[in-house]
Amino acid sequence: MPPTLTTIERPERWDAAFDPEMTDAAVDRLLTLSPFREMNPEKFPKRTPLREILKHDTIIRRYRKGEIIVRQGDYGTSGFLILSGSTRVVLKPDLAPAVLGRKAPEKKGFGRTLAQLWSALRPPESFKRAQLKRDGQVGERTNEEEQVHVFLQDLPRVFNEHRTEAMTTGDFFGEIAALSRMPRTSTIFAESDEAELLEIRWQGVRDLMRHDDQLRLHINRIYRERALASYLRATPLFRQLNKEQLERVAAEVEFATFGDYDWSGDYKRLAKAGTLRPEKEPVIMQEGDYPNGVVLLRAGFGRVTRKFGTGERTLNYAGAGQVLGLREIAHNWRKPQQPVNLQHSLRAIGYTHLLVLPTRVMEQIVLPSVPENDLPDLFAPEESGGSLEIQEQPGAAPVRGDILEFLTENRFFNGTATMVIDLDRCTRCDDCVRACAATHDNNPRFLRHGPAHGRLMIANACMHCADPVCMIGCPTGAIHRESFEGQVVINPVTCIGCKACFLNCPYDAIRMVDIRDEKGQFMLGEDLKPISKATKCDLCVENHGGPACERACPHGALERMNLNDLAAMATWLKR
Amino acid sequence: MSRFNRQLILGIAFLVLSCAVLLLVHRRYGALSPAYPYLTGWGLFIVILFLSAYNGRKKLPFLPLGSSETWLQVHVYLGLATAVIFLFHIRFRVPTGWFEGALAWLYGLVMLSGIFGLAVTRFLPRRLTARGGEVIYEKIPGLRHDLRQQAEAIALGGEQPSTTLAEFYARRLDAFFAEPRNFVHHLAESRRPLNALVAELEDLRRYQAEKERVEQLLTLVRQKDALDYHRALQSMLKLWLFVHLPLTWSLLIFSLVHIALVYGFAGGIK
Repeated sequence: MPPTLTTIERPERWDAAFDPEMTDAAVDRLLTLSPFREMNPEKFPKRTPLREILKHDTIIRRYRKGEIIVRQGDYGTSGFLILSGSTRVVLKPDLAPAVLGRKAPEKKGFGRTLAQLWSALRPPESFKRAQLKRDGQVGERTNEEEQVHVFLQDLPRVFNEHRTEAMTTGDFFGEIAALSRMPRTSTIFAESDEAELLEIRWQGVRDLMRHDDQLRLHINRIYRERALASYLRATPLFRQLNKEQLERVAAEVEFATFGDYDWSGDYKRLAKAGTLRPEKEPVIMQEGDYPNGVVLLRAGFGRVTRKFGTGERTLNYAGAGQVLGLREIAHNWRKPQQPVNLQHSLRAIGYTHLLVLPTRVMEQIVLPSVPENDLPDLFAPEESGGSLEIQEQPGAAPVRGDILEFLTENRFFNGTATMVIDLDRCTRCDDCVRACAATHDNNPRFLRHGPAHGRLMIANACMHCADPVCMIGCPTGAIHRESFEGQVVINPVTCIGCKACFLNCPYDAIRMVDIRDEKGQFMLGEDLKPISKATKCDLCVENHGGPACERACPHGALERMNLNDLAAMATWLKR
Repeated sequence: MSRFNRQLILGIAFLVLSCAVLLLVHRRYGALSPAYPYLTGWGLFIVILFLSAYNGRKKLPFLPLGSSETWLQVHVYLGLATAVIFLFHIRFRVPTGWFEGALAWLYGLVMLSGIFGLAVTRFLPRRLTARGGEVIYEKIPGLRHDLRQQAEAIALGGEQPSTTLAEFYARRLDAFFAEPRNFVHHLAESRRPLNALVAELEDLRRYQAEKERVEQLLTLVRQKDALDYHRALQSMLKLWLFVHLPLTWSLLIFSLVHIALVYGFAGGIK
C-alpha cells in the first residue's frame, strides 16, 4: 500500500495582492487594453502568468482633476500606466515645496531663534491653529477608498507659471524610479476629471519586463535616454570617452537588480529572529570567478566579502557610485599572461540596483581611454594568493572587522548622518537630549540608546538614510528630502499621522506623537480621537550652527557621521 | 596627532603660557602698584563669571555659541589658571577674616569639585562601557522592579514551593532586590558583596532539589548587581555637578559682597 502523502498549499509570491479587491472582470478589461493586449501570454511562465501578474500586482486608481499622482523627489515602489483620461508632467520650473506638501527650506531668523528661550514654558509638540493651516495652493481630499489625495487648487496658475507636458492613454511613467529606487524626477498630476491609472508595483513591472520584449525594450530605451547617459557622463571612469564612445558604452550596459526591494520589513523580521547571515544574501559577484564585467552600483548596498574558513568575512560594504571588478579587469587587460580571478564576492544587502559593463567593452573602449596613472594598481602575487592579513586585503575597510560586521548586520551603512556615541567618552549627562528638546518643541527627537558594540553606540535617531525607505508611501509628501543638503524632514502641517513612515523605518527612528494646543490640551479630530504627527530628528535644519545634539556634547562623544565614509569613522575612533 | 591629544597639549601649553605671563606681571607690578590687588581681584571675578557662563551656554543650545566641547576645554584650563590669579590676589597668605576665609574656602571647594568632576567624567564612562549592559538611568527603577517580581515568582512561586528558597529570599534577597545596594563597593569596583551573595546562593544548591530555580535566581542577582553598578556610577557622574554648581553660585554671591565691602571700606583705589 503506497504511503499517504501530506500536502499543503505552497506559499506563493502573491499571498498578499496589491489590491485584494481586484476582480477577474477588471483583469479581463485590462487584457483588452494596450500594451497588455499586444503581449503574448505564452511567453510568461506558468508560475507567473500575465493574467495573475495583472490580478495581483496592480491596482486601478482614479484621480480627479488636479490630484497629484507622483511627486518630484518622492520615493515610490510602483510605476503607472494611464488607462484613460489625461495627466500632465510638470517640466520647468519645479513646483514650489509648499505646493507639494513640503516645507520650504528656511533657517530661523534672529527673532525666532531668540524666541526659543521661552519654548521651555510651552507644552511639548504644541501648535497654534494657524500654524497647522495648509498652503492655499494645495488641498487634500479622501476618495471613496479612504485614500488621501493631495490636489492642486489653482490649476490655471500652474499652467501659467510652469511648462507642462500632456501624457495620455497608454503612457507609462514612474517605472524607472520604482525599479532603480531613485527619487521621482517630476511631479505628475491628473488633468482630466476622471483619470484612470493602473498602478503596477515594482515586482509586477519587473516580471512584465522580463517576459515581454516590447515593454523591456521600451523601458530600457527610456532608461538609457533619461537616466543612463547623464549618469555615465558623471562617472569618473568614463570621463575620457567622447560622445560616440559613450553612446556605445551606454548601448552595451546591462541593468540588474538583486535582493528584495522591500528589504526593510524583512530586515526587521530577520534581525529579530537572529538569522541574518551573509551566506543567505544574493550573490552579485563570486570570488574566484572570471571577471566578466565591471559592476557599477547605482542604488542600494552590497557587501564585499572574502572566504574565511567555511563562511564569508565582510571586508567592506559598497554603496551607490562604487565600481567593483575594475581592478581585476584592468590587471588582466595589462597582464594577460598572469590573469587573476575576482578577489572578492559582492552580495546584495537588502536591495541593489546596478549596471554591468561587459569585460569586452571595458577592454575595447573604456580601458584604452584611461590614462596609465589613473588605472588601478596591478595585483601583487601575495595579494591574489590570499596570504595577507584581513585588514591588509585590497578593498578592506579601514575599521576593525568586528565593527564592520556590527555596522553591516544592523544596516547602519545606510546612514548619512548617523548618531554615533563613543561610550568611553559619554558621561550619560543627556545634554544632547536636552539640547534636542530645547530646539524641537520640548520633544527630544531621539533616544540616547540603541545597539552597541564595544564602545560604539548607534542611538535611535534618524540617520538621514541614503536609501530612505521611510519616504515610500507617504500619501501627502509630508516626509521629504530637504532640497539643499538632503536631510529627511517631516512637515507637521501636511503630516496626517498615517504611520506609513513610522512603520517603514527599519531603525525605529520615527515616533508618533499626539499634538497639543497652546494650553497643553491634546488636539482632537472631528472623531474626538487625538491628532498624531510623525516626529523625528531633522538635523536641526532650521537652526544655525548644525545639529544641537552634536554641539551640546561636552566631551566630544557624539558625532553625526556618514557611515558610508568609513575612513572618517576610523579617524574618529582614533581621535 | 589625535584630536584629544591635541586638545591636551594645547590646554597644557595655554596653562603654562598663562601662568608664565601672570608670573611676569606679578613680579613686575605685584609689590609696587597699590592697584594690583584690585587688578587681580577684578581679573579673577571676570574670569569666574566667564567660567560660570558655560552653564548658560548649555541652556541655550539653539544659539550658535560654539560647541560645548570647546567651552569645556576653555572652562577646564582657564579654571585651572584661576588658581594662579587667586594665589597672587591673596598674596600667598591665608585669609584671616571669617568672610574672606569663607570666600577662599568656597573658591577652593569649587576648584576641587571641578577637578573631581573632570576625573569622574574621564574615568567612569570607560568602566561603564567595560561592564556592558548599557541602561538609561531613568529606566533603572522600572527594570529593578521587573527583576524583583521575577525573583519573587521564582523563589516563592512554582507548583512545589520550596521553604528553603522562600526563607532565603525573605532573609537575603528581598532587601537586595527592593532597592539599590552596594553604592560604595560599586564605586570602588569591589565585587565582594556580590561574591558573598552568590556564594550563599550556590551553597543553597546542596540543600535545594530545584537547582534550576537557584540558577535562575543567580542570573537575576547578577543582573540586579549590574543595574546597581550602572546606577552607582551614573549617579556619581551626575551628583558631582550638584555640588559644583551650588558652590559656584555661592562663590559668585560671596564675591559680589566682597567687592561691595572692599569698595565700601577701602575708599577706592589710592
